[in-house]
Amino acid sequence: MKAQTAQNLLYAILTIPLGVVGGTFKFLSRLRANRAGFIGFLGLLAYFVLTFIMPGFIPFDSEVNLDEIAGPVGSRIQLAVHADNAELQTFEDLAGLTVGVVDQTGGPSLIAPYADSINIEKYRWTSRRAGPGIRAALVDLTNKEIDAMLIFSKNVEEIRADADDPELQALFAEHIVISNPELGPPHLLGTDTQGRDIATHIVHGGRILILTAFIGGVIATLIALVFGSLSALVGGALDSALTALTNLVLAIPRFPLLVVLAGLIRFDNMLFLGVLIGLLGWPPLMRAIRAQVLSLRERDFVEAARSLGLSTNHIMFREILPNMASYVMINFIFSITFAMYEQIGLLVLGLAPIDDYTWGVMLYFGRSRGTLYNEDGASMALSPVLAIAFFQVCLVLFARALEEVFDPRLRAAV
Amino acid sequence: MTSHSGDIQLDTSGATGPVHAVQRLLTKYPIHKNYNVRVFVQAILTIWAIMSFTFVLVRFMPGNPVDILIEQILTQEGISYQEAYDRVAASFNIDPNASMLDQYLDWFTDLLRLDLGTSITSPGTRVVDEIARFLPWTLFAVGSGLLISFVLGIVLGMMMAYYRDSVLDHTLSLISSFFTGVPNYIWGLLIIIGPGISWRWFDVGAARGTYDPGLTPGLNAAFIASVCEHALLPIITYVLATLGGWMLSMKSSTTSVLNDDYVNVAEARGLKDRRIITSYVGRNAALPLFTQLSISVGFVLGSGVVIEEIFVYWGFGHYLFASIVVRDYTAIQGAVLVLTTAIVLSNLFADLTYGLLDPRVRISGEK
Repeated sequence: MKAQTAQNLLYAILTIPLGVVGGTFKFLSRLRANRAGFIGFLGLLAYFVLTFIMPGFIPFDSEVNLDEIAGPVGSRIQLAVHADNAELQTFEDLAGLTVGVVDQTGGPSLIAPYADSINIEKYRWTSRRAGPGIRAALVDLTNKEIDAMLIFSKNVEEIRADADDPELQALFAEHIVISNPELGPPHLLGTDTQGRDIATHIVHGGRILILTAFIGGVIATLIALVFGSLSALVGGALDSALTALTNLVLAIPRFPLLVVLAGLIRFDNMLFLGVLIGLLGWPPLMRAIRAQVLSLRERDFVEAARSLGLSTNHIMFREILPNMASYVMINFIFSITFAMYEQIGLLVLGLAPIDDYTWGVMLYFGRSRGTLYNEDGASMALSPVLAIAFFQVCLVLFARALEEVFDPRLRAAV
Repeated sequence: MTSHSGDIQLDTSGATGPVHAVQRLLTKYPIHKNYNVRVFVQAILTIWAIMSFTFVLVRFMPGNPVDILIEQILTQEGISYQEAYDRVAASFNIDPNASMLDQYLDWFTDLLRLDLGTSITSPGTRVVDEIARFLPWTLFAVGSGLLISFVLGIVLGMMMAYYRDSVLDHTLSLISSFFTGVPNYIWGLLIIIGPGISWRWFDVGAARGTYDPGLTPGLNAAFIASVCEHALLPIITYVLATLGGWMLSMKSSTTSVLNDDYVNVAEARGLKDRRIITSYVGRNAALPLFTQLSISVGFVLGSGVVIEEIFVYWGFGHYLFASIVVRDYTAIQGAVLVLTTAIVLSNLFADLTYGLLDPRVRISGEK
């Protein structure tokens, strides 16, 4: 008897890894038939590498740096000078001179490190608001009131090409040259308003979001699973109570409540936000699982188990749950996308913690600092937007592929 | 469902008192067993529970509107703290020092008279008026967005079902994954960054607000054009964000209808394809989706907060967000009440009309 048990155990230990590996291969080969789903799966793997492994190799760029400010790829900060001073090309050359800086991006903190060696003259992006704009800076440059000027490339070109005032344009064309079209080192996705590399922020900004969404998804799915199966299997007063609770929570305006809660609770930790999202997000899934258990309960094999006198415990965990596993799994993935949606929504509004520099916080700063509305600075908002969008799409593609792989009815229909 | 006293069939004819009277009445007219009545009572209880929850919740939010307002008055006018306090207390519908229970009872009795109180941060403004001012814009944007995406989704979903497994189906289902996956505010940001800023198809700054300043609201062409122009971006966003769901639902619904006998019969009778598609397949496949449409109205209203902030569209979501920022308790409660009521009513509407819309459900329900 004992030897038999040991044998069983050994057998289990040996076969479980084999089963997992074999199952994975079988699953992948089935998934490969669904091209979109397979792409989604690969995309998720890529996201895993990007956000969980790459941060170990790529340090977070937190150094505020004026000479690294750049727009998106190919559009970088330029040094415009008077034609007579064409030899001025780097920051070292500018020592002791008066330099015009467009006060759009960084503000005083950026210019401060250079204030000792360079005389700085501030200009605004446009002259619509108070203060001299770029055009005024160019006029000053032609009059040699300033020796050089730091500016985003495209805007110099645009203003030089703008034929509003031909006389002025001719003057610009004659007296202003761009001595260095690419100040500072190149960056893959450009730099943000403080000259920090956006690509490193993308690499570091996803992990916490994904973990938070994962926690939210796990909690929502667990609550839904427990309540849904209890409700369907036990029935009676418990069923009524749980269904009423579900209807109640379902009617709560989730997002506004989260906004109120975000004001109420000082979220020191994003992961806590995940718990909260999970606690609010279970009702739709609970209804679905309840319906699923109710329908599975009527199937022959469950009837058979019940007539054999097997316990509810056994019926739930051995008969019903294995048959629902894929369904639960798919809904779990969808609840991750909901959690992601909600937490980033809060972040965009600036209501969740911004201590962790995540994609959502990048969006918040992109909006609040106005780079969203500036073509040259679009990378700061566009990069996290695309990172979030593709992550969500990968999840949805993967979940839909799972639906097709697991649900024979769908497979037959397709 | 909670158990009602009337479920117990006791002989209470000899007893007196209101409870017994109610019991007698319920035994005589068992309205608590009527499905519609039960659903209705449950809806009202739900609204009440959520409102009470919100009431307590907003009062625990850090930052007190009384202090904020006193501070404001103190910095603006050189009066003593006591004067400022008195004025603030007088301008409030609620006594800031009253216990929460008293405040609750006050608020609740007002609510029964449909009075949502006055705003705390801008005294004298009635919350009802504010909501009436902001809500129509959101209803317009959300409503037209949902309607457009619903119609589009039904057409595209039917196409997917008819051309199952073709290139069209695969392309559309990939597109629908994109639509469902990408959050609505991300669509909004993409619209701003792409067509708005980079390609300059329109002026993002000019599309702020709900209509151009200087126009007189009314039924004139300039005003209507301006309103549509300002609502266009939110509407496109709502369409993009909800379209994928409709496409998929319609596809699966149509697929199951296509297998039904009556479609085969219609084909056998030699009816024109067009007629089969519209009145046989389309109508029956779209019926379950009307329920979903009704339910989604409430949810989309709530998710408009971020969209309206992104596009600076001064609708209901903007109002709710602004109230939360300044801790305007009464305004938050009013806005949440509207949202909760919208969600509950749309669910209720779906529950009650489903049978009316779809005779098949009605018949199986009566059995």
